[in-house]
Amino acid sequence: MFGRRSLLRESLPIVGFAAVYMAVASMVESEYHLLTFTLVAVWATMGLAWNILSGYSGLVSFGHASFFGLGAYTSALALKLFGITPWIGIPMGTVVGAVAGLMIGVPTFRLRGHYFALAMLAYPLALLYVFEWLGYQEVAVPLMRENAAYYMQFTDHRIYVGIAVALMTAAMILSRKIEISRFGLSLLAIKQNEAAADAAGIDIMRNKLIAIVLSGAVAGTIGGFYSMVLLVVTPPSVFGMLTSAQALIMALFGGVGTMWGPVIGAMVLIPLSETLHAELGNVIPGIQGVVFGLAIILVIILAPEGIYWKIRDKLRAGRDDDRRPVDASSAAPAEPSEPARIKPGPDAPIVLSVRNLSKNFGGLKAVQDVSFDVPEGAIFGIIGPNGAGKTTLFNLLNGFVTTSSGSVSYKGGDITGLKPNAVCRLGVGRTFQVVRPFLRMSVLDNVIVGAFVSAATDDQARENALAAIELVGLGGAAERIAGSLTNKELRLMELARALAGQPKLLLLDETLAGLGSSEVEDLLAAIRRIASRGVTIVIIEHTMQAMVRLADTFLVLDHGQVIGLGDPKTITREPRVIEAYLGKKWANRA
Amino acid sequence: MSTTRRTLMMTALGAAGLLAVPAYAQTSEVKVGLIAPMSGPWARQGELMIKGANLAIEHINAQGGIKSMGGAKLKLLTFDTGDSAEKAKNAAQRMVSQEPDLVAATGAWLSSFTLAVTEVTERAELPMTTLSYSDQITARGFKYIFQTSATADTQANTALPAILSVGERAGKKTTTIGIVQDNTASSVSFAKALRETSIPAAGLKLVVDETFTPPLSDATPLVQKVRSAKPELLMLLPTAVSDDKLMVEKLSEFGLGQGKLPVVANGAHFAVPEILKSVGPELMEGVMVTVGNWAVKGQESIIDDFKKKTGEPWMTQDSLSSYGDMWIFKEGLEKAGKADRKAVADAIRAMDTTEGAAKFFPGGRIKWDDKGRRVGATVVIVQWQKGAPVAVYPPETATHQPIWPKN
Repeated sequence: MFGRRSLLRESLPIVGFAAVYMAVASMVESEYHLLTFTLVAVWATMGLAWNILSGYSGLVSFGHASFFGLGAYTSALALKLFGITPWIGIPMGTVVGAVAGLMIGVPTFRLRGHYFALAMLAYPLALLYVFEWLGYQEVAVPLMRENAAYYMQFTDHRIYVGIAVALMTAAMILSRKIEISRFGLSLLAIKQNEAAADAAGIDIMRNKLIAIVLSGAVAGTIGGFYSMVLLVVTPPSVFGMLTSAQALIMALFGGVGTMWGPVIGAMVLIPLSETLHAELGNVIPGIQGVVFGLAIILVIILAPEGIYWKIRDKLRAGRDDDRRPVDASSAAPAEPSEPARIKPGPDAPIVLSVRNLSKNFGGLKAVQDVSFDVPEGAIFGIIGPNGAGKTTLFNLLNGFVTTSSGSVSYKGGDITGLKPNAVCRLGVGRTFQVVRPFLRMSVLDNVIVGAFVSAATDDQARENALAAIELVGLGGAAERIAGSLTNKELRLMELARALAGQPKLLLLDETLAGLGSSEVEDLLAAIRRIASRGVTIVIIEHTMQAMVRLADTFLVLDHGQVIGLGDPKTITREPRVIEAYLGKKWANRA
Repeated sequence: MSTTRRTLMMTALGAAGLLAVPAYAQTSEVKVGLIAPMSGPWARQGELMIKGANLAIEHINAQGGIKSMGGAKLKLLTFDTGDSAEKAKNAAQRMVSQEPDLVAATGAWLSSFTLAVTEVTERAELPMTTLSYSDQITARGFKYIFQTSATADTQANTALPAILSVGERAGKKTTTIGIVQDNTASSVSFAKALRETSIPAAGLKLVVDETFTPPLSDATPLVQKVRSAKPELLMLLPTAVSDDKLMVEKLSEFGLGQGKLPVVANGAHFAVPEILKSVGPELMEGVMVTVGNWAVKGQESIIDDFKKKTGEPWMTQDSLSSYGDMWIFKEGLEKAGKADRKAVADAIRAMDTTEGAAKFFPGGRIKWDDKGRRVGATVVIVQWQKGAPVAVYPPETATHQPIWPKN
């Protein structure tokens, strides 16, 4: 799917939708209903702005009112103080929104999760007081009787709908472009698992900053237009909690992470809220808020990820069931014949060299003075009981955790202290103990995320991804949704994702965990095939039986220390190793 | 034959009905609007406005409706501005689109809502009166807006001379003054006008000048400063009722309450009936409040009727203003002689009277300047006396003598 979509073709449904929306609006006479048409498009665009950052990258923002409000004040003050037409004032709002995105993003992206969300909440609240302090409690856009069109003041309210729809369409096309681009897939990868994305070679900070700048620009634009619709700008109306919440609610209600979500949300919620307000507000004051709240709660309970996903999942479920048997047979181990693998000789060049590596967490010595060399083309097994420090060692190798002392060199170059995505770009891939697939995406898209790091073009990424899928034996399942895969297939897909970046060295973290014995065989075959292509493999495992048959060399860890290194058969007979695994009693028997 | 005759009869009846119905609607009922917050944090103000407007409509219709239109009755339509400028604009747009035969409207209450609402009513050429204070409302060159209260700037500049004259009337010349304010927008602009214009102009000495960020946790340090500086008059400018309460309590505790130190607050939040429950009448005794409108001498029968019908303890600015606004519409309609919003607007714009509706507004005159501001609009000073805020200024229409310490 990815890489074959042309933006032009993808834009057709959006433009079609906008045309229908506009056609319906142009048949409406009442200015009141036209205002609702305008506001639906405004809040849809605001929801889209929120979605560009929070929907695609998963960084929930409670503070999008900052960008919206700055845009609103920019266009309103430009007209009021300097007589600048909104046709220029609104694009000025775009720029201000983008700059604000950058300025807010740089410090705030240091925070994660809830802390990020809360920090974002603070910006509009602070701006609210700043604008009150500046004396802009109420900025009224001056009424222009002459040259009204130049100042965006129309008597025909359909023109307002037209501008709003044009802005919404632009935001939708931008969103669609992101969805089908390398950038969008990178954001999705960050959303699903920031660590995995980092390990797959994605520059996290850069991608997040681009997202917040685009998001701020869209919010600033629509804020600038909003002040021309409302003609009055007050700090609470543009920087208030409700503004941020509204953006979030539109997207959550309609569907997060898709450009249709905020549009569906706005088309349902804005007219609903206004109708309730108009019909019930005078009868039982305040009841409209209660009904509105209940409607939202109901939808969140019935469709927790939004209406769009609920419908799409229903539609997909039917289709996937039909295809399943075919895929299952093609994913079965009807594999290409396995070329004989030659173990590296004693004079093979060293790919990975670890010297005196240590890591302390406070008083705990997780890894102590570990040294080893991995020759090119080897399958190097690291074993040890639970808590021996295996995963910590991996995290030190690819840069997730900084070393306390010691060094790691890859192909002769020192990589100690490099960031995971930089290590990845050098050609070191890795998988994780806990599989984190992107469940709604196809297998191919899942794997493409890993291919970006080494591919210059999107087509190249696609090709590498397909080759990797073929190599692990998932050839027939490339178009399936990851959510429909079995545990074994997920493991293979994860392997393919790491492989798609064309690494020279692959770090596999407990790839065999939780699999049945026949499934283990499939994975072992896949790993051997990969190794036969000249990829060096370092694998962590604690199921000894499988490892003995797979690895050329064993490194045994216990309590963070190396207690054995050498040929698997010899190592497994060493009393210290048996003791570590089974206790003293068994060591004596051996 | 009989079928034909019946058809003819029906047609004739139908035609008569068609002719009669619009004619009947035109003369018998004229729609006026009230657009104000009826839900959200300012819902109470909207409620008070509806109560005042309903009473006026009842009185007008009982006295024969619009006489120049054959005794047509007034009918009030209400529109809720909700809690945001966007909802206010929606409500205004709904009002002008769905009620094309509306002739005039009043309300909006919060200045920012009034600004948003009048953007719509101006373009629809619907005359709109408002009690909102903001100067901006009538600084935009609009032709269909009529501001009945003194604007914020005017209030800030006229309040202090008015307060001093109350003191003089009670036999005391004031020479020193103190200000305790919070840092919200309305307090800041009011205090700025005091500091820069009114206090120097009156030749007063500012002996204590304190600003705090709401909400207060403890008013003791502020009141200690006031007590040691010993001003003869204290301008007390919080905006939150909780801060009002803390300040008044602490002043009383330090022996400055119950009128021993004349205290003047700004804004109707200091004179709403809710204060009776939250602060209590004893502590409020003697506190003065400057407001845009209040029940004054000559309105006793209206106020009695209002209290009887609504159960409210007194008639606030909100109720009284919307009561008076209905009378302005009534008189506009009398002159226009037809239910046409432009004709009504012209009639209101041309008013110059001290009779009828003019009696419901401080200054006692209805005449508009070219911006739509009421000429001679001034502040009313009310003082809490025996559990109710009563008018003590302007002297012509004051219902009570001010309480002021004589030393």
